[in-house]
Amino acid sequence: MILDILMGGLSALKEYIALHVVTCLIPAFLLAGGIIAFTSRDIILKYLGVKAKNIISFPLAAISSIFIAVCSCTVIPVSAGIYRKGGAIAPAFILLWVAPASNLLAVIYTGTIIGYEMAGARIITAFVTAFVMGTVMYLSFHKEETERMIAGEKGGNDDKKIIAGKDIILLLLILFSLLSPNYLIIKGPYLYKVYVFTISISITFLYAYFVIKKDRISNWLKETWWFVKLIFPLLLMGVFIVGVIGKILPQQWIEHWLGGNSLRSSFLATLIGSISYFATMTEAPFVDTLMKLGMGKGPALALLLTGPGMSLPNMLAIIKIFGLKKASVYIVTMVILATLSGWFWGNYIFRR
Amino acid sequence: MKIEILGTGCPKCKKLSELTAEAIKELGVSAEITKVTDLNKFIDYGVILTPALVINGEVKVAGKVPSKKEITKWIEEKKNK
Repeated sequence: MILDILMGGLSALKEYIALHVVTCLIPAFLLAGGIIAFTSRDIILKYLGVKAKNIISFPLAAISSIFIAVCSCTVIPVSAGIYRKGGAIAPAFILLWVAPASNLLAVIYTGTIIGYEMAGARIITAFVTAFVMGTVMYLSFHKEETERMIAGEKGGNDDKKIIAGKDIILLLLILFSLLSPNYLIIKGPYLYKVYVFTISISITFLYAYFVIKKDRISNWLKETWWFVKLIFPLLLMGVFIVGVIGKILPQQWIEHWLGGNSLRSSFLATLIGSISYFATMTEAPFVDTLMKLGMGKGPALALLLTGPGMSLPNMLAIIKIFGLKKASVYIVTMVILATLSGWFWGNYIFRR
Repeated sequence: MKIEILGTGCPKCKKLSELTAEAIKELGVSAEITKVTDLNKFIDYGVILTPALVINGEVKVAGKVPSKKEITKWIEEKKNK
């Protein structure tokens, strides 16, 4: 029995990690490292801090979330900073939600494991729910915010660019190495994917070698290595636990409580995701395992969003920074929105 | 000399503290290192991205781990003033 459970964990490791290291994880980490190394995040944040109109600041906050942080732990100080500096409450909360719920690494991994349909749904839903939540936060707290507002623009306003043209090409090449193996070789032996990957990543590194300055390359590789060191152990452990849980959980339970696309299943999936902590990327194999055991696609989406997006420790930190009132409005709004989106996608968009 | 390290306990913040401590030791300057974890203090310095290194009240770097060489340079600059 115990041996069986351990084997479950090991086979999950093989299925989710070994098969994806070369063609998904390596380029994904390189891309994330590149974004951190080559974009000036402080400039993006400056745009968010100023009193921009909602129609600009909402989408800006959502899109820049992708570039700023990967897990909920790093996004909290950033979000707190935006809130304190410019009093922009809605963008602060949008960042807090979108950065973990639909970050680059996790979305790429979701696409590889569960499918690109689900990855797309994850991004779209994260954005839509973020805009609704941002509006709720704005309407609820707008008045007290304007009283509290402090114009805190510190530091010199130098004309740095967000990203240089040469660096964009490098990022696009990495993106190409990431996508080409999986799109050019849709059906075919894994080895072919490795061939395609080897060619495209070689082009990428040749480009970097001849065009990008040495210290910037080393900076990029250093940032990449940070991601690997930080996330890979958590991913290994998480995936092992996922395999074990998959062996232990009875299929009937999953089918009963999380099957189909009812509001109840979607709500339960949201609850599980909001309370428990998922290290970035581990939510994808977890949801995949549950789907194989009978979880509906709608609840799966809800769990993918709230899994990394919210957790108990994350809620406590939010309460500490924003106060109980704002945190409660945020948490309740997100639980309702996630439940509704799971139900909506499950019934109207994911057709079987 | 007063050196502050702003961070929330992330691995990068720890790395920055380590490097700073090494740099101080190698230079042989007397400096007091404080780890700041209070987010309100971050705002006072205008720091949004962690980790950040503050020497004598001046933000030297924010949002990344600098190399030990850079840290050493900053400390020496301050020392000579």
